[in-house]
Amino acid sequence: MLNLNYVAAQMQNMVEQLKVGGHDKGARLEKARSLLALNEPEFTNLKEKVAQSLNTSPFLLAGPVEPLYTHVPPISIPEDFSIIATDGSQIDVDRHQSTRCYLINIGQVRLDYGQKTEAKLESLPLLYAGDNDTVIASGHQVQMVEGPLLNLKRSVDECRHLKEMATELPTGQPALAVIDGSLIMWQLSGKEFPDFVVTELLDNGFMKYLDEMQALAQKQPLSLASYISFPRSVNVANTLRLLICPNNTADCSRHCGYKPVGQRPCDVLSGVQDQELFFELLVTGERSALFTSQAKIVREKYAGHAVHFFYLKLEDEIARVEIPQWIARDKQKLDLTHALIFDQCQRGNGYPVALSEAHEQAVVSASDRENFQQLLATWLADEHISSASSAKSSSKKTKWL
Amino acid sequence: MQELSQTRLGEVIQASSTTFCAQCYELYSLPPLGTLVKTNEGDNELYAVVYQAFTEGIEPGRKPIARGKDEPSEEAVFKANPQLVKLLRSEFAALVVGHKRDGRVNQYLPPRPARLHGFVYECSSEEIAGFSRCYTFLTLLVNAKAETPSDELIAAVLRLMSASQEDPRAFLVNAGKELAALLGQDYARLKAILERIKP
Repeated sequence: MLNLNYVAAQMQNMVEQLKVGGHDKGARLEKARSLLALNEPEFTNLKEKVAQSLNTSPFLLAGPVEPLYTHVPPISIPEDFSIIATDGSQIDVDRHQSTRCYLINIGQVRLDYGQKTEAKLESLPLLYAGDNDTVIASGHQVQMVEGPLLNLKRSVDECRHLKEMATELPTGQPALAVIDGSLIMWQLSGKEFPDFVVTELLDNGFMKYLDEMQALAQKQPLSLASYISFPRSVNVANTLRLLICPNNTADCSRHCGYKPVGQRPCDVLSGVQDQELFFELLVTGERSALFTSQAKIVREKYAGHAVHFFYLKLEDEIARVEIPQWIARDKQKLDLTHALIFDQCQRGNGYPVALSEAHEQAVVSASDRENFQQLLATWLADEHISSASSAKSSSKKTKWL
Repeated sequence: MQELSQTRLGEVIQASSTTFCAQCYELYSLPPLGTLVKTNEGDNELYAVVYQAFTEGIEPGRKPIARGKDEPSEEAVFKANPQLVKLLRSEFAALVVGHKRDGRVNQYLPPRPARLHGFVYECSSEEIAGFSRCYTFLTLLVNAKAETPSDELIAAVLRLMSASQEDPRAFLVNAGKELAALLGQDYARLKAILERIKP
């Protein structure tokens, strides 16, 4: 239980601190914005400094592709076009139950606009059970699919379904495939999972489906993007730190390692988020300059799908749109992606309609979860299979004094 | 097996001994108030009259919002938001007024309610004429406790049924006499219905 009396007092302190921080933040933001206007040699230098500092800077940098103050209005949308999107949710393995299974529910949506409007909204639940389906295995190495790994498997499944929908699109008509969240599979970048898991999910999964969509996009006007609402990323702000850094290469631990955080020269920009940076610069509908993600996993694993991104100004917020390299380098596809994402947000009251409908199809409510567990228990009981559960699980379900 | 030529209106999604509710296959393809419809329950063919219809969002938690401020027409709202057709549904509720068993029409409640997912058809003119040879069903309608005012419902049923009769005027006059016998004690109500079915 939560004692709100104690929490309220702590909240008061928090609000006081935020008030003080707000004044400093305004000045830091002003400083950051003043750095966006660079002349050509300065811009070239910045690009080089980013490239040189990738392995020595602890900050995750954005690689500038276009001048930083770039702002591009959306082109007119085509008369006839389709949007496809997927989202997913899951019922994780219940480790208090003796039966090992999980469920992935994929919501998939296709919306056709123009002369012939049509909508296809589907929910596709898939139950995984048994020794083979609930693990990722390579030789004698085995990793159980549950928790964070199940999240990743679900993302790969979302991409697979998106690819399958893309193959069914009419070939001559512009279309945009939208993924919820980031194109970067951050969770695979650390040491959390063994290499064979990364290979299975990324190389034989996510990348394979991106390859197939790229192949399709070479034959038809298909675009692909992922959408992040209210991003908290600071990659561009980090790149601006390099403009303040007095050294040729940002070798932070060597030059500033002895200085506490807050005392380094570039800390005059600390706390500035990319979305705050672009909120004033862009007018509604405009996109920012293009940047490349310099995440290690992207540089090492994404090859031709290297993640690029831009920020998009909506009525009340800035969104981050990520695209693979083959979209970023094709002006027509880039412009189409920008225009269609903005159009989707306008139709969806600030959030892409196709994504929000895919979410509605995918979502598994608390009562759905209960029904799932009950149905499972009934099936097991009917077949006289033991469905023993732990004492801890029973204790949580039964309240007693 | 139903004949293919019959108009299938929808499918039963809720049923009790006295009423059933059906979902239309197409948005807004609702039968008019008072339409005589039928559905099968085993060997019984159930007859019912439409007393209520509504269109709402499929999910209880999602409330429709106004979308047409900048659109030139209502059609344009649906063109700009193609998903709406899939997220809204039209339903109608029907009051059971009789059933057919072994070829014989009985104007009293059937032994069992309609089955869920049973198809609901609009009755043909011949079926309407066959069903309305007698007026016993009016007793069920007069005593019905539906949300729709029963006077309005009775009048709507009789107006629609009269169109399938050889002599619509005579049908309505006879129905009026039947109602007079049923509602002898309630002149105001009788008058209200008669005014609504005046030939």
